Amino acid sequence: MSPARILSRQALAGLARDRSVLILVAFFAAMVLVTAWLGWSATATVNAIYADAAAYLSGAGQPVPPNPVSTSAPLAVLRNLGVYISLIGAFGAIVIGQHLVEADRRAGTLPLIGAGPFARRDIALGKMRALVTATAAMMAVAGVIALGTLLTLPSLVVTGPDLGRLALFLLAGWAYVTTFGFLALGAAARLPATAAGLIAATVVWLVITFVLPELTANLHPTAAINPVTTLAATPDAGVFHLFSALLGPVSLAEGFAWLSGDLLGFLPEGLAPRGLVPPALALSVALVLSGLFAAQAATRLDLNAGGPDA
Amino acid sequence: MPELRPSLSGSLLTIALRDAREQARDRVLLWATLALVAAAAVSLVTGAIALHGDAATYAAARAQLLALGKDAAAIAAPEFYPLKLLRGTIEQIEIMGAVIALVAGYRAAAAERGRQTLALILTRPLPHWAYGLAKILGGAALAAVALALVLVATGLLLRLVSGIGLGFGDAGRLALTWAAGVFYLTALFTLGFGLSLWAKSPVSGLIYAFALWILVVLVAPQIGDTMDPDNQVAGGVFAQLSVPKAEQDRIKAGFAGYESFRNGIEVASVTKHFERFTFAVLGIKDTYTGAPLDKVLAEKRGDLLFLFLFSLGLGGVVLLKPINPDRLTKES
Amino acid sequence: MPHATPAVSTRGLSKSHGETVVLHPLSLDVPQGEVFGFLGHNGAGKTTTIRLLTTLLAPTSGSACVAGHDVTAEPLKLRAAIGYLPENVRLYDQFTARENLLFFARLSGVADPVDAVRETLEFLDITALADRRVGTFSKGMRQRVGLAQAILHDPEVLFLDEPTSGLDPMGVRQLRAVIEKLHGRGMTIFMNTHLLSEVARSCTSIGVLAHGRLVFNDSMQAVADRYDEVGLEELYAGVAAAGVAA
Repeated sequence: MSPARILSRQALAGLARDRSVLILVAFFAAMVLVTAWLGWSATATVNAIYADAAAYLSGAGQPVPPNPVSTSAPLAVLRNLGVYISLIGAFGAIVIGQHLVEADRRAGTLPLIGAGPFARRDIALGKMRALVTATAAMMAVAGVIALGTLLTLPSLVVTGPDLGRLALFLLAGWAYVTTFGFLALGAAARLPATAAGLIAATVVWLVITFVLPELTANLHPTAAINPVTTLAATPDAGVFHLFSALLGPVSLAEGFAWLSGDLLGFLPEGLAPRGLVPPALALSVALVLSGLFAAQAATRLDLNAGGPDA
Repeated sequence: MPELRPSLSGSLLTIALRDAREQARDRVLLWATLALVAAAAVSLVTGAIALHGDAATYAAARAQLLALGKDAAAIAAPEFYPLKLLRGTIEQIEIMGAVIALVAGYRAAAAERGRQTLALILTRPLPHWAYGLAKILGGAALAAVALALVLVATGLLLRLVSGIGLGFGDAGRLALTWAAGVFYLTALFTLGFGLSLWAKSPVSGLIYAFALWILVVLVAPQIGDTMDPDNQVAGGVFAQLSVPKAEQDRIKAGFAGYESFRNGIEVASVTKHFERFTFAVLGIKDTYTGAPLDKVLAEKRGDLLFLFLFSLGLGGVVLLKPINPDRLTKES
Repeated sequence: MPHATPAVSTRGLSKSHGETVVLHPLSLDVPQGEVFGFLGHNGAGKTTTIRLLTTLLAPTSGSACVAGHDVTAEPLKLRAAIGYLPENVRLYDQFTARENLLFFARLSGVADPVDAVRETLEFLDITALADRRVGTFSKGMRQRVGLAQAILHDPEVLFLDEPTSGLDPMGVRQLRAVIEKLHGRGMTIFMNTHLLSEVARSCTSIGVLAHGRLVFNDSMQAVADRYDEVGLEELYAGVAAAGVAA
């Protein structure tokens, strides 16, 4: 077994035994279930309202429009999933990323690892591999629950292409959360003070989620976490068009929201993504860049620092 | 030997002042507050630019109508209330301010645990709850100063971008917003402090606090918002079905239980109470725009009371829960 | 000469965490003016005992008095009469030694904190460190400032938890000198330690704790009289092993 794989397995075993990581993953799974329930509730409520309204309209001799639920894409019931991935999933990845460095630092095992017969590169690769696996596991949990929801809701007809789009959506979600996980891993490796990596990565995430959408589209923070209101057109003012073009590629939360809307079928017709770079490309580039940052920082990690009160 | 007993108020002041001096030297919170000012300023300026765009669109449409010899009253002029521009500022306080308060609470606990000074303080002749109280009072003072800075800065910026100075009435509304914000941020500071003091390691406490922040500040209001039937269909379900208003009300009456449940999820979040109170006081919510302050306060005092009782209750829990001596060090 | 009221007195004092008994009922008297060495393996319950006696921990059963004050009934009076130096104290890094000490002097209710700090710095011969930030200090320097905060209010009983842990030989020697000076002033010192050589040189009485049970308690004079041939190390190994077997 390669050193990177040994280190990765050890790190994953550590993650699986850390209570705060487990609680966050359970919280994420619970919220994905809530998404399922919200999807069911939304469908059932609109169906009931439609039945009431249809009875009134036919009684009044007026034409009855089609049920809005039947005209929307089946995957749209999962629209909240994108929001929870970008909130809880990203934060979970940040916690995992910082834990991969902090746990060794606090346990005082960094010098022991550093004295092992392998290259610094292997240490970085081992940690990154553990992160990538852990975030993939989170997305797998989300995928299983999402699939269960789609198959349980009787009014939905899910086709093969729909499942393909769901898989692509989960892949985009994985890329999005892993980007923040890499950031946290790199920040924790660079900043030795306790929780400094966690706080630094959280600040970046906050700016991307709540500040950039204000600059690109005058989207207030609460609108930025609503799957429907976040998909708003850029206001018709020169400044917003300029910011949208400049910041669009780094406004990853908006990019992920746009991709979610596109893949799950609730994107308003004709809504263009912010900036000229397609969101899928922007997310991929962000993942690669954050991965490089994590690799560089973890390779240069100070292996002498550590101990319970580090 | 004469018995040495410091006064309680003296001890509280000693601990709170030491904390304040440490924060002043450390500067992390100063930078965090400046970041909040910057975020609030961005909200304000982008809001003003958007409003300016609306006004320009209105002016162009009006000129076109007048040129065609038509009545310009057919289109509604965008209304301008300067305090409405503070919507983004309030939301940034709700979200980023909350994170800063949690981190400040974490730091207040982690600093003592990492240095073994908690054990030294707790073996001094003062009740253990007094230590917690001093820390919470210190947190409240920090929140008061930081929020004052944010609101004064945005108030001045508001004058700059709107060209309209704020009157005494507006200042009073801002003062009420400040007071509600101090309760809100103190509650979150207390949460971060308590969890970082009780958890196995302060970092775990911070992680739990962040997870609760996501749930209470972001997810609970978001669920309530998403469950609103009118938010489930683009453009609103009733508008799409072309149902008249009277019939809408009849149909909605049939969903009273659902609506109470939805509202229940929203009001379980302290953030929603802060938002409802400040949106009403500042006239951000349309139904309260221009309404007299006494009427708004009469309607919204429940939200302020919730904020107050929530902070008090959380503070009480932190003060009453004994400090576990196995948590005296950073890692235990 | 021993006084009538012991400085530390426990009767059936015990502590359990759930099913785990950390300290079995402990009955112990430490007369005033003694330097009491509390010996035991790691995990024997020494730190738990100090935490019980300094009111940091509530006992599961039994009672304890320090300086005549009950740990449960009069915690504030008790805390006013004690000084405490935990193991591995770090203090506030951003503050100077003087600022750290002024803070603790005020919390102890010292009438003139500035004067008390100056006197303590002089007493410990660390005036030169007074205006340097603690963050720049070595372990030994921190330990001396830590000791200063524990004695600046002139407590009746001083609790030291592994005070020599991590100190170099010079640091150990300086600490011993301070303990001797404090003993000379009549202060009762209750010290957890591993170092038998320190116990032999500094302590006037000892107790040995093994797996939460007190297995030996006597004056150093009696130890010297009765166990002179086997020596302190053999005595400790013997009673500790007997305690484990029990």
